[in-house]
Amino acid sequence: MVQIVIRSSVDGSSPAEWLLVELQGEMFSRHNSALAGNVMGDLLYTIEGVPVLIVGHHILYGKQVKLEKPFAVLTKHSSHLQDSRGCRDSDNENNDVPQLPMETKQPGAPSTSYCVTALIKRKLIFKTRPKPIITNVPKKL
Amino acid sequence: MRTLEEVQATLQIAKLQDEELQKTIHCLSFGDNVSSADYCLLELDDTLCKLIETGESLVIRGDADEHAVLCTKDRTYDLKIADTSNMLMFVPDCRTPDQLTNSQENSHIVHTQIWGFSNSYWELRKQRPKLKKLKKVLMENPYEGPALGGKEEDTENRYTMEDLLESIQASEEELKTSLEAVHACRIDGYWRMLDFDYEMKLLGHLTQLVDSESWAFNRVPLQTCLEELAPLEPKQMIEHCLNCYGKRYSENDDVLYALDEDRVCRGMALMLLQNAVKFNLREFQEVWQQSVPEGMSTRLDQLKSVALVDRSSRPETINLLRVEDLSEDTLERFNQLFTLREKWTEDDITPYIKDLCGEKQSTGALLTKHARSSMQNGIKVFNSRRPVAT
Repeated sequence: MVQIVIRSSVDGSSPAEWLLVELQGEMFSRHNSALAGNVMGDLLYTIEGVPVLIVGHHILYGKQVKLEKPFAVLTKHSSHLQDSRGCRDSDNENNDVPQLPMETKQPGAPSTSYCVTALIKRKLIFKTRPKPIITNVPKKL
Repeated sequence: MRTLEEVQATLQIAKLQDEELQKTIHCLSFGDNVSSADYCLLELDDTLCKLIETGESLVIRGDADEHAVLCTKDRTYDLKIADTSNMLMFVPDCRTPDQLTNSQENSHIVHTQIWGFSNSYWELRKQRPKLKKLKKVLMENPYEGPALGGKEEDTENRYTMEDLLESIQASEEELKTSLEAVHACRIDGYWRMLDFDYEMKLLGHLTQLVDSESWAFNRVPLQTCLEELAPLEPKQMIEHCLNCYGKRYSENDDVLYALDEDRVCRGMALMLLQNAVKFNLREFQEVWQQSVPEGMSTRLDQLKSVALVDRSSRPETINLLRVEDLSEDTLERFNQLFTLREKWTEDDITPYIKDLCGEKQSTGALLTKHARSSMQNGIKVFNSRRPVAT
């Protein structure tokens, strides 16, 4: 049987809280390149606290919502036995952590584990239809 | 990287006035980590969230041919991947309006990285643990008593708690509860289930001793039991039997057991029912009452979920039917039940579907979903929704 541990912290402290930004639809880069490194958009808030997102030529209005079911962001770690990379609990392990044999039958076989990198309890959700920003408004002559 | 000027130019074109906006502008861009495939989102419930915040770890368990489950110390959840048409981005350092200090006079940009994004997440659903495998595994080598003269004890297929956790999709607490329920005993560090005949032999020794000593069945002295029965069976097994069929308590310096009437009666009934396909109900009830210790009363409702009474046959009969021998899958279970008997009253069928109920589900709801009801002789009965192969 495969057993994969999800460790709840890297150093014994509670995981950080991040924010979720949810958009309807997919995101494509204009130049069809990978997304990493690219600008996504500008996020602002009105005085009343309404989140506004400007993406390319569009404005989206959204709202802040508390998640009914929070999320955990898990990061995968593959390590060989005796490998000290990846998540590590503090040395005096929480006594509640079940002592599970992580080893597979083959010594040196890679074992997978996950770490909770962050918890997400709130999100900004942008559901309204993007309003295009018209850049070229011909002036009436 | 966007500059403040560029952002403000866009805002102007978009006709968003400075006065309407808060001063902090987050410029979101994708970090380098987004393209690595090494992260995912896991949907939690409040319980799990609190567990993680207190530092507890979770475990995913599954064999190649099983669906994966997620276990905490005492709960099991089904794991499924859910897709969404929306894009979910997770941002570590993004502030919401309630978190902005608004201390700065002028608009300013905060360059913020999107750490990762996804359009799917792991969804969890609380599940009944699959314990049929536990029984199957433990029955590979049931304990039949100490090895008899010269015969080697079979040391194959024995499981420690760690071994069990590795093969069964359940949390440790759930496993412990189930081991207790099947009367498993830890012998030489291995969890063993008792061979049924052996367990009945132990129970038989006990009940005979109680009768011959004329003890009240709620005052069975441990010490005397061990002394009297030691020539017959290992002390550990005598004590195990007392633990399975009674409750331990102390009085002054003595350890006593109160035998549980329901459990003992059920055990004796199982012993009788094992040996025949069907029993004449009246005869069974007579023999059964005689087989239990003085002072105990047998009642048919003690046999719910282990035996089935047929009141429509002449003479009325009773036969062994254990819910633990039926399928764990809901649809299959209903199929099996309706194959055994076409129409069931609610009283008869409930003990055989109770364990299928989800967390907030009632047996009534299950019946509505999987069965069709009708009236027969003024009583409501349930039959299959689909044609059952006969």
